[in-house]
Amino acid sequence: MATYTYTSRPRALPCQRRRYRDSLLQPEEEPVRYGNIMYDRRVIRGNTYALQTGLLPGQPDPVELQRKQQAKKKALAKKRAQEQLKPRTPEPVEGRKHVDVQTELYLEEIADRVIEVDMECQTDAFLDRPPTPLFIPARTNKDVATEILEGELFDFDLEVKPMLEVLVGKTIEQSLLEVMEEEELANLQASQCAYEEMRNVELAEVQRLEEQKRRHEEEKERRKRQQWEIVHKQNETSQKIAACAFAQRYLADLLPSVFSSLRDSGYFYDPIKRDIELGFLPWLMNEVEKTIDYSLVGRTVLDMLIREVVEKRLNSYERKEGSPPSKWEEELEIPERKRDSTINYLTQEPSTLQAQKRLSDTEYLRAPSIDRGPPTQERKPVEEEFQGPDDDAEMRRSLDTEDPTGASEL
Amino acid sequence: NQRSLQNFISKTFQKRKMAHTRISMYLPPNINPAQADIAYGCWALPKLNKELQSEDLQTRQKALMALCDLMHDPEYVYEAVDIGCLESLTALLKDSDTLVRIKTTEVLCIMANHNVGRTSFLEHDIILALSFLLNDPYSACRENLHQVYKQLAQLPEGARGIINSGLIPSLVWKLPREEEDIQELILDTLAPCLQEDATEALASRAVPFLKQKLLSDNANIRSKAARVLTAISIPLEGKNQVKQHDVIPILVHLLKDQEPEVQANAAGALMNAAVTTEGKYTALDADAIEPLLMLLHSPVTKVRLNATKALTMLAEAPEGRKRLQTQVGTFRVLELDNNVTVRRAAQIAIKVIEWKP
Repeated sequence: MATYTYTSRPRALPCQRRRYRDSLLQPEEEPVRYGNIMYDRRVIRGNTYALQTGLLPGQPDPVELQRKQQAKKKALAKKRAQEQLKPRTPEPVEGRKHVDVQTELYLEEIADRVIEVDMECQTDAFLDRPPTPLFIPARTNKDVATEILEGELFDFDLEVKPMLEVLVGKTIEQSLLEVMEEEELANLQASQCAYEEMRNVELAEVQRLEEQKRRHEEEKERRKRQQWEIVHKQNETSQKIAACAFAQRYLADLLPSVFSSLRDSGYFYDPIKRDIELGFLPWLMNEVEKTIDYSLVGRTVLDMLIREVVEKRLNSYERKEGSPPSKWEEELEIPERKRDSTINYLTQEPSTLQAQKRLSDTEYLRAPSIDRGPPTQERKPVEEEFQGPDDDAEMRRSLDTEDPTGASEL
Repeated sequence: NQRSLQNFISKTFQKRKMAHTRISMYLPPNINPAQADIAYGCWALPKLNKELQSEDLQTRQKALMALCDLMHDPEYVYEAVDIGCLESLTALLKDSDTLVRIKTTEVLCIMANHNVGRTSFLEHDIILALSFLLNDPYSACRENLHQVYKQLAQLPEGARGIINSGLIPSLVWKLPREEEDIQELILDTLAPCLQEDATEALASRAVPFLKQKLLSDNANIRSKAARVLTAISIPLEGKNQVKQHDVIPILVHLLKDQEPEVQANAAGALMNAAVTTEGKYTALDADAIEPLLMLLHSPVTKVRLNATKALTMLAEAPEGRKRLQTQVGTFRVLELDNNVTVRRAAQIAIKVIEWKP
């Protein structure tokens, strides 16, 4: 099947007649009026094999037009001719005018001005398209009536009772449920409140008891600590007292013993004695030393003299005999001291005599190798002098100690 | 005759209705154009869940309104949590449209009324998601938000969840800056949270704010603020702060208030604050014994209970004990009270008053 193409598609042509004014708002669903094809002049009816072509009913035929015009002219000419032939009234005499007079029963005003009365005629204004009226189809039914007497169909009260019961019952049930729910909620709320109160109260009670206990505990602690401190202090005090007493007693004889030991060790000295020791005795010794020095010097000089003499004699003897003078030297070595001390006399050449600044005893000890006699004599008075200061055991001891040492050095 | 008359009347006054091809001019009665259609049975919630995630704003809004209606039923709540409505709701919390946010918070509020909802909130971290809305400009949104928190805080795990997510400082900070209704909700949220753990609140200077609230005009706010103070003065740090900020004289003043709730909560706060020695002496200095004695005759149980306990605390101090020794008779009367707790409290009070060191 070939598909057709059209220059103009076939469509139903709408009828152009507008019955109503075009409303400003475009009506959406206004049914488009289509012209009925049966009454359309444009549709060709009848047999189509003997058609008059070219002429539409609207358009005038030119031949016809001409004929009509000729006919018109003819008619006009004829009419004019007839006008000429018509009998007329004669012209009026001079000075007179023909006047038309009305002879009817009712006079009519004749004026050359035509009474003009404006009359208007207007078609009804275009109305808005009224709304589609309800389609109420014509009644095609038959009215039939039935008479229902009261009580025949049903007894309203009886019938309605179960329905009413259900309705009212359901409503009441629902409302009861809701009320119960609310009541339950209110109860819950109330019990919650009560519980909360109780809880708060209990909590407060617990806290109060805790606080109380804490305070009591604190109090107890404090008292215990106080008590303990008191006891402690007491102990300390008693200990201190005991220590004090003991110390006193202990130290009671400390003082005399201290004094005695100090005295024993010589820290307490008799100032006079000390003075004697410090002042007098050194001076004494110095003097003694000096004296001894003098005697020593004297002796030395004497010794030198003797030596010179002896040397001279010796030299002269040697020159004379030339025999070693050994006996003389031996005799020199033999003499011992009278003292029992273990003193070893060393032969000392008189030339090696040195003035030592130690106690004059040492020099004094050296001297007796040459001269025995006078030293012993001289020693005695020195010793006696030393016995003057009594109680000076130390000095004695020191002398004793120094004697052997001094002598041992020799 | 009467019957025929009746027939006549019934016939004339009965309207004859003919069959119409057109359904009536009125819309069917169940359609609410603001709500999404709720599908039948078990398809209701999955469909709503899908609609919640849709791109179109109107669909979301309509689905939220339908969800609001459904969430009153706990079974639906459970199912909603099961199919993951909470994730879509969490995503909607950050929506830019106001109505969506308000409705989402309302849905969450209704869900929080049920325990299932609350536990699921804790699992799905709703607290954190909601905290982004704390600064929302619309008060309806914030009100619902605080409702959710309040409901959540009534659960101990919920309270702990709120504390763990670090919301307490922001809630305390918001307290002076919000409207009165929301302030009440915040105070209600704070009270159980602080009963769990009050350290964060103390660190964020809650006590001065609460002191301000104690002087408010609204009786509800006063009573709730006193309740929060009761909770906050449970740990030792709280008691010290309460004493430091001179709240005790105000509490004593509130004891003379008209509302029994205010009196009860003020007495409770005093009871907790007077546990420490300094607190006791501050309360005694502020002359707390007289009003407390008057409160012992109050008809409300809570007031009597808290007043008894507060007097017990004050009786620990020697001055208090001396003054209360004359009032032992009142306590004896209380021993015959209906409530067990009051009786016990009265006994303890008598024991404390008559204690000799």
